[in-house]
Amino acid sequence: MIVRISRGRGERYDDFDVNITAEMTVLDLLFHIIENIDQTLAFRYSCRGAVCGSCALLANHVPLLACRTTLAKILNPGGSPRVSLPSGAEIPAGGILLEPIPRLPVIRDLVVDWEPFFEQYLKLEPALKEEKNLPDKEHLIGKDEVRELERYTNCILCALCWSACPVVGEVEGYPGPAALAKLYRFFLDSREPGRAERMLLADTDSGWWACDFYTNCRKVCPRGVPPNIAIGKARKHLKGEDQE
Amino acid sequence: MNAKYIHKHDVLIVGGGLAGLRAALEAYDSGADTAVVSKVYPLRSHSVAAQGGINASLGNAPGSKGDTWEDHAYDTIKGSVYLADQDAVEVLCREAPGAVIELEHWGTVFSRDGRGSIAQRPFGGAGVARTCYAADRTGHNLLNTLYEQANARGIKFYNEYFVTSLIIDEDACMGCVTLDIPSGELHGFASGSLILATGGYGRIYERSTNSLINTADGKSLAYRCGAALKDMEFVQFHPTTLYGSNILISEGARGEGGHLLNARGEQFMSKYAPQARDLAPRDIVARSIIREIEAGLGFKNEYVHLDLRHLGAEKINDRLPGIKQIAEDFANLDPAVDPIPVQPGQHYSMGGIEVDIGGATNISGLFAAGECACVSTHGANRLGGNSLLEAIVYGKMVGKKAAGMGYNSARISVIEDAVNRESKKLESFYSRPGEDFAALTNEMRKAMFEKFSIFRNEESMAEGIRSLVGLRERYENIGLKNRAKKFNQALVMTLELGYMLETAEIVALSAIKRKESRGSHYRTDFPDRDDDKYLKHTIVKKDQEGRPLISFSPVRLGLFPVKEGGY
Repeated sequence: MIVRISRGRGERYDDFDVNITAEMTVLDLLFHIIENIDQTLAFRYSCRGAVCGSCALLANHVPLLACRTTLAKILNPGGSPRVSLPSGAEIPAGGILLEPIPRLPVIRDLVVDWEPFFEQYLKLEPALKEEKNLPDKEHLIGKDEVRELERYTNCILCALCWSACPVVGEVEGYPGPAALAKLYRFFLDSREPGRAERMLLADTDSGWWACDFYTNCRKVCPRGVPPNIAIGKARKHLKGEDQE
Repeated sequence: MNAKYIHKHDVLIVGGGLAGLRAALEAYDSGADTAVVSKVYPLRSHSVAAQGGINASLGNAPGSKGDTWEDHAYDTIKGSVYLADQDAVEVLCREAPGAVIELEHWGTVFSRDGRGSIAQRPFGGAGVARTCYAADRTGHNLLNTLYEQANARGIKFYNEYFVTSLIIDEDACMGCVTLDIPSGELHGFASGSLILATGGYGRIYERSTNSLINTADGKSLAYRCGAALKDMEFVQFHPTTLYGSNILISEGARGEGGHLLNARGEQFMSKYAPQARDLAPRDIVARSIIREIEAGLGFKNEYVHLDLRHLGAEKINDRLPGIKQIAEDFANLDPAVDPIPVQPGQHYSMGGIEVDIGGATNISGLFAAGECACVSTHGANRLGGNSLLEAIVYGKMVGKKAAGMGYNSARISVIEDAVNRESKKLESFYSRPGEDFAALTNEMRKAMFEKFSIFRNEESMAEGIRSLVGLRERYENIGLKNRAKKFNQALVMTLELGYMLETAEIVALSAIKRKESRGSHYRTDFPDRDDDKYLKHTIVKKDQEGRPLISFSPVRLGLFPVKEGGY
C-alpha cells in the first residue's frame, strides 16, 4: 500500500510503500514508519485511546484522530457523513494520504503549532470563577444539568473542529467551535457566579455571531460534542429568546 | 550560550498531569513563582485517561452512610497487603473528602445521585461505595479542572519541553536541562525546588494500559542523581484491558455490576474470591483471569469476557459512556449486545521515588509526587480510585512544601555548564555506529512482559535480568540517524528508552530480591507471604560505581495491626 505523507505544507510529499494490514490504525502506521522506514517523520501521540487529543490529522482529506481510525475505515468509509477538506494533493490509488490539520501553522510534517488554537481558548477565560460564599460540602446539582454539562465537558481540545471550520479561516479573531463550546459550558454551570457576563465575552461579530452553522465541528468531533448547538443556544440567550 | 534559553523559577514542576498541576496550584497559591515543564501539552498527560474515579469517605451513597477516613484507610492498608506506610495512608484518607470537595468547587462536573450530591460507586477492595466519579471520564474531568485553574492564575507552562537531566550542585538539585521539542533548542532551568510529577513507566512493558508517553522519565532522572527508588517490584496489572490494544476498561464496569465470564460462561471470580468476587483487589482478579486462561477456560488462550449486557443500554450510556465508545472504536462491538474481550495488562507502578510525607527526596531541593513517587500509600497493591486521590492529596502537600523552600539562587554558570554538557552528550548519539531505538525498545518490553509480569519465578527472572543487561550494553552504543532540529521524535524516543531501560532493570533487580508473594508481586517459587522476612520496603540507590545497591527499610505501621485475611 502506498502511504503519502506531507513533509512540510505545500513543500513536499513522500511516498512510503508499506506492507501492513488494513486493521492497523493510522497511529500504528506512523509508528511502523518511524521505527522501520524513516526516523525523521514527526507526528504527535500520547494516549492511543482517543482521549488525549494529540493525534489529529487529515487522512484522505478527512480530519480525524489517528489512534482511533483504522486504515480499513479510511479506505472504505461506508455511508457515514464526512467532512472532506481537499488539500490539492492527490490520494494515491488504493492508498492513504496523510497531512497535518489545516488552519494552524505546521512545525514539521504532521505536527502543527497549537498555540493559535489554545490562545483563543484562553481568551474566553475557561475556568469556574471563585465564589464568595462556598458551601461546606459540594454544590447540589441535578442529573439533568450534569447531563447537559457533560455534552461540552467531553471536549478534548484536539483542534479537529477548528481545522474543519471554514469560519476559522475567514473571520479574524474567531474563537473557534471548541472555545465557544467551552464558554457555553461555563455559562450553563449553575455554580458559576458570573454566568450572564460570561456570555458577553463573545458577544461580538467575530464571536457567537460569526458562526455560519456549517456544523462541521459536530461532524468531526471524536467525542460527540456539539459546538453548533452551544452557539445556537448562546445566540438565543443573547436575543432573550430563551426566557420561559 | 543564549541567555534567553535560561529560565528561573522558585518552584519548577516537571509534568502536567494531576499531581503536577495540583502541586503547581498550591505552590502558586503559597506565593511562589511557579512554572510547569511538560513534554506534552498538559491535557495530553496520562491522567486524562483515568476512568473510574477517586475515593473519599463522603458517605453519600446508600449503604455507605457513616463511612469514615479510618474505614478508607483500613481498606487501603489491607489492599496494600500491609506494605503501605500507615502514616502516609492516614494523610491520604483524612484529606480525601476535602480534596474532592475542593475539586468540585473548582468546577469538576462529578456525576450526581438523586439528591444532587456527588455520586459514589463501589470499587475493588473497598467495604462500601466510596468512589466518586465523573461517568467513566474522571481523569479527563479532573485534569481539565486543574488546567483551567492553573491558567486562570497565570501559571507559566513550558509545553513540549522534555527534561534530559537534572542539575546537581553541591549535593542539591538546582534545576534541569530540557529539550524544547518543537525548536530543538536546549533550555536550562534554575529552580529553588524542583518537583517531579512525571507519572508511571508502563511502557517498559508489552501490554500496558498506559499512554505511550509513560516512559519512566522522572524515576530514572531522580535515580541518576542519587535519589532512592522504593518498592519498584510492585507493578499493578489491571485485570480488564481490551484484548488487542490493552486500552483500559475501567473497574467501574464491574463496580456498576459487570461480571467476568470464562469460555463456559461461568462467573469464575466466585471460585477465587468468594465474598468480593468481581470486586476483589486487582492483583487477585488479574491472577484469577490468567489461571482461567491457563486452565483452558479462556478464549483463544488469550482473554476472558467482561459482560455488561445485563446492565442494559441505558445504564451503560449513563455510567459507562467512555467504555461504550472504546468498545465501539477499538473492538467494533456494542457492550450492551456483546461481552468485551479483556485480558490483564500493566497499569500502574506502586513503587517510585522515595519521598517523605512532604514529598521531599533524599536530595535537597528535589521533590516528587504522584505515580512517579512512592510515599507509600499503595504498598504491594493499589486499590482502584486511590491513584487520582494520591496525585491530588500529595500534589498539594508537595506544592506547599516546595514553595516553602524559596528561591535558592542557583549560579547561572552551573546551569550553563550543564546545558553545554548536555549538548555534547546529545551530539554523541550521531557519531555512534550502533542500532537505533526501535528493536531495543521492543525487546525490553517483551522481556519485562515475559519475565516480570503477573507470575514470576527465580529462574525466569534471572534470565530476564540477563536480557536487560544485554540491552543496556547495546544501548551504550545506540545510534541516531535523524538530524532534524525541529520536533525530533527519534531523539526523544532514544532518550526515553534510556530512562526505561534503567528503570526496567531496577524493577527486575527488586523483584528477584523479594522471595515471597505479596500483592502484585507473585512468585510461583515462593507463593506465600512472609512477614517475618519481607514486611519491609525495598530500596534501590546507586552505589559508588554507579551500580544499583539494594537495601530494605521498615514499614511504618501504627494504625492497624498486620493481619492475615482474604477477600
